[in-house]
Amino acid sequence: MTSLIVRKNADNLDAAELQALRTGYTKAQAIMDNRGYNYFAGLHGIPNWYCWHHDHTTGSAVNAKLFLPWHRAYLLSFERAIRDQSPAAPKVGLPWWDWSSAISHSTGVPKAFSVATVGGVANPLRRGHIIAPTATPPINRLTRRFPGNPAQLPTAAQITNLLNLGQFNDFSNQLENIHDFIHGWTGGNNGSIGGDMGSLGTAAWDPIFYTHHCMIDRLWYMWQVKHGVNNIPAALLPLVLTPFNMKVEDVLSINALGYEYAVSFTTL
Amino acid sequence: MASKTKTPSRKAPKATKAPVQTGMYRPSTVYKSPRTLAVNQLPAQFGRADLEFIGVDHSGASYEARVYVNNPKANANTQPTVANGYAGSYYIFGHGGCFGDIGHCDIPQKQDAFDRRPSHPLEPIRKVVIATDAIKQAAAQSAEIHVTVVPVIMSWTEKCDLTDVMKFDHINLVTYD
Repeated sequence: MTSLIVRKNADNLDAAELQALRTGYTKAQAIMDNRGYNYFAGLHGIPNWYCWHHDHTTGSAVNAKLFLPWHRAYLLSFERAIRDQSPAAPKVGLPWWDWSSAISHSTGVPKAFSVATVGGVANPLRRGHIIAPTATPPINRLTRRFPGNPAQLPTAAQITNLLNLGQFNDFSNQLENIHDFIHGWTGGNNGSIGGDMGSLGTAAWDPIFYTHHCMIDRLWYMWQVKHGVNNIPAALLPLVLTPFNMKVEDVLSINALGYEYAVSFTTL
Repeated sequence: MASKTKTPSRKAPKATKAPVQTGMYRPSTVYKSPRTLAVNQLPAQFGRADLEFIGVDHSGASYEARVYVNNPKANANTQPTVANGYAGSYYIFGHGGCFGDIGHCDIPQKQDAFDRRPSHPLEPIRKVVIATDAIKQAAAQSAEIHVTVVPVIMSWTEKCDLTDVMKFDHINLVTYD
């Protein structure tokens, strides 16, 4: 029987799970074809610009708000690519970064994604290598990150208020506003230049990007539990989430997509 | 049922000197609404009041836009508190400038009704600040409502203009039952 992928809090991964995740990232970062980290990072901003943010109008009159479904499909594809490169056991799912937690308000970015080295080797969860030869000018460097004051991160009370919003469009707008703040906060600046999470073009090369978006996706899931898994404007359902060969209606149920969110997972 | 009041388009400010950096984040040109709304134009009762920012540019730096009601002197050093008329903030996750060839970041017009390509990523966006408490406070203390928006730059690339990051077309004040 196929079991669901369990996505966990990044601060709660055990040593074996972290090593499996690092192995997946390391191998994916070494692959330059369409199975690799550089390819998937390039789907979001530079050079392909497939990402979907804020209100959009497509060829129809529908005012499409596809921020949440597009990123759900994106994370799913990325997760599969990482799992292809990860050990068979333990099974690894993308972790989420709960920026509203007490730990985050003390230390900011999860330790697993901020330590420089692990066992004397560069931590693949801390930086990515941007290879974008078609950008103007071409980009070929490691990502940079200058996080802000952890005390500025969203609070649990803000999350509670967010989850109480009853309409999908309203919830999506307000969640996206928090999302935008986290990007600016995490990228930050060193006085001279900003970090990559603060720029849409290069944000997806920073490994924390996927962990941040896992939290965004988790909040959507928690909102769906409260307000209904199918609670989304009907006009959005048939819209295609390019380039993932999926429609909005295909990404509403995370269980149907093969994963779930768990605070803890123990086999007795 | 919602009621809307539109304030006129924001005009481009005159060129200013480079902003002074305050701490980690940098200030940029402040917006002050050229029009005020008479409080007696608001419904007597409302459960929620939103300030909608229409036509917001997101092509450049990432910034926080701190929204103040009835505090025309608000700036980057003003504490964002209820007492100071702080209504909330919207945040922009900016594209960081243009990294494509010439014309890449120009927003094209649809060729015709059969042009079904997705909209350009840089189409201006709409941001909503839930400002219920600030609007109610202002309405209780004054006969008029005006809005000041203070941008604070959080992150940028080498392609970003930092002197005037915040651009939008207009602000709607919308109330709901």
